[in-house]
Amino acid sequence: MDTVLKIDNLTKQYGRITAVKNLSLEVKRGNVFGILGPNGSGKTTTLGILLDVINKTSGSFSWFGQPPGKGVRKKIGAILETPIFYPYLSATKNLEIVAEIKGAPKENIDQVLKKVELYERRFDKFRTYSLGMKQRLSIASALLCDPEVMILDEPTNGLDPQGIAEIRELIKQIAKEGKTIILASHLLDEVQKVCTHFCVLKRGTLLYSGSVDEVNKGVESVEVMSDTPEIREVLEVYNKATKIVEESGKFVVTLVEDTHASDLNAYLFSKGITVSHLLTQRKSLEKQFLELLAESDNA
Amino acid sequence: MLRLLRIDLKKLTNYRAFWVLNIMYGLLIFSIPVSVMEFLKWLKVKGAEFEGFDPMRIPVLHFPDIWQNITYVYTFLKIFLAIVVIISISNEYSYKTIRQNIIDGMSRIDFIKSKLFTILLLSLGSTLFVFVTGLLTGVIYTPELDFADTFIGIEFVFAYFLDLFTYMVFAFLLTVLLKRSALTIFILLLYTPIEYAISAYLPESFVFIAEYFPLHAINNLIEFPFAKYWFQEIQDFVSMSAVGVVVGYLLIFIYAIHYKLKTSDL
Ligand SMILES: Nc1ncnc2c1ncn2[C@@H]1O[C@H](COP(=O)(O)OP(=O)(O)O)[C@@H](O)[C@H]1O
Ligand SMILES: [Mg+2]
Repeated sequence: MDTVLKIDNLTKQYGRITAVKNLSLEVKRGNVFGILGPNGSGKTTTLGILLDVINKTSGSFSWFGQPPGKGVRKKIGAILETPIFYPYLSATKNLEIVAEIKGAPKENIDQVLKKVELYERRFDKFRTYSLGMKQRLSIASALLCDPEVMILDEPTNGLDPQGIAEIRELIKQIAKEGKTIILASHLLDEVQKVCTHFCVLKRGTLLYSGSVDEVNKGVESVEVMSDTPEIREVLEVYNKATKIVEESGKFVVTLVEDTHASDLNAYLFSKGITVSHLLTQRKSLEKQFLELLAESDNA
Repeated sequence: MLRLLRIDLKKLTNYRAFWVLNIMYGLLIFSIPVSVMEFLKWLKVKGAEFEGFDPMRIPVLHFPDIWQNITYVYTFLKIFLAIVVIISISNEYSYKTIRQNIIDGMSRIDFIKSKLFTILLLSLGSTLFVFVTGLLTGVIYTPELDFADTFIGIEFVFAYFLDLFTYMVFAFLLTVLLKRSALTIFILLLYTPIEYAISAYLPESFVFIAEYFPLHAINNLIEFPFAKYWFQEIQDFVSMSAVGVVVGYLLIFIYAIHYKLKTSDL
């Protein structure tokens, strides 16, 4: 797999604030890469540097192995923070400007407007659009040049649940077409639902980078209950358990990797214990994310 | 180059204020010679007091005087075009579209070029309009039309172009520095009186530097012409040193715009 984006030791200083600190990352072709971090963690600043609208303090980055420049940006479809268009122009006119800048064919305009379901409203002025429509128009605009990479910064921010679902559906659909997507978000479930890879930023520092599957697969913990009192001793000698916590009659057993509730059940059964309650608690990304943030506070 | 101009025109031609200001500007250009003549005719009707003197014979709008006279007067209208420029650029900041243009694949230099091409087009358009208006007015009002006189002083039309273009680039620079349209228009309007106030307080031995101040230099391109009608000496040519100073400022302004955009986060 080839590298679409490589970041080396990127730093951005705003006076005394360090918005991005020695960030190094790599995004491969076809990844849906989430940049996850609480508000103010440096996501937008990082993307702004990658798109040449913010001057970096130090470090370097390259797109498709090339140094940054306008030629590279024409192959990227990107939105930072909020949809930005000329409010007094219609969707079509706005996209004509984008197409002219990117050197994209005008014929793409109707096509992308249909894709985001704005075709019927294409002659209405941008300022008359709802927030959801504005977000969809920016996705249309990002798709206009049939980009190799799409950059989306908080694309569901401020939307109602239906709007959020629509945008996520759209992103998944685009990802399925094989495009590389970089998605910045402070929402965990968004990253979990949409991304294949992600990194975690906090106060400009990289805390974690890896694939979503790896994390999801991760370790499982299982809640068990049995009427047989010996269960405690039996569990304590189980070599696949790393941690056992008793909570009001239930045992929460943390298993080693690649061991599942069924394995635990089979083990207990072989020791003559039948369970009356068995529940898998996959450790959610959210929990791990919070743990990561907490760890970094202690560090 | 044409592509960059096309992009900027697409932004402007659908913007109402652009047309309002341009039309107002055009109407004023057109109506000034007409009203001057109407005024002289009115004087003539009241002619009794003039002891047989025909005010229509004052050669204000006759070739070759007309070129310096109308270009001098018309430079006072350039504020309309400067406001078009200020709105066009401050909108890019307030809508943040300058940021999106660059994200989409313009370079900062492309952005500057696209605005400069529009400024060039506005100055050329206005110059052409003034040229045609001057020509028509001169043909209509010059009593004994002599083709040889027609284009004497035509250099003032060129000076008018340079005056307009430089002034609008100055407005571009102010907008890039100040970003908000109302504030920029306010400062631009205040700037000329401030410059003249400073020059009035210069110590005797430094007075000569005043003519190197940017707006002094621009205004020196076309000197006040009407004093000759009360028999005072005037400068009835475009001084090359004024052109040189103005071109120098033009380059400085463009460099400053580029420097400011290059070093700032958008
Ligand atoms: N123009 C700026 N001037 C000063 N500080 C800024 C500026 N832009 C962002 N910051 C600071 O940089 C940090 C990162 O901001 P940002 O990249 O917007 O975070 P995120 O997108 O993750 O919410 C924040 O502390 C923010 O206050
Ligand atoms: Mg942000």
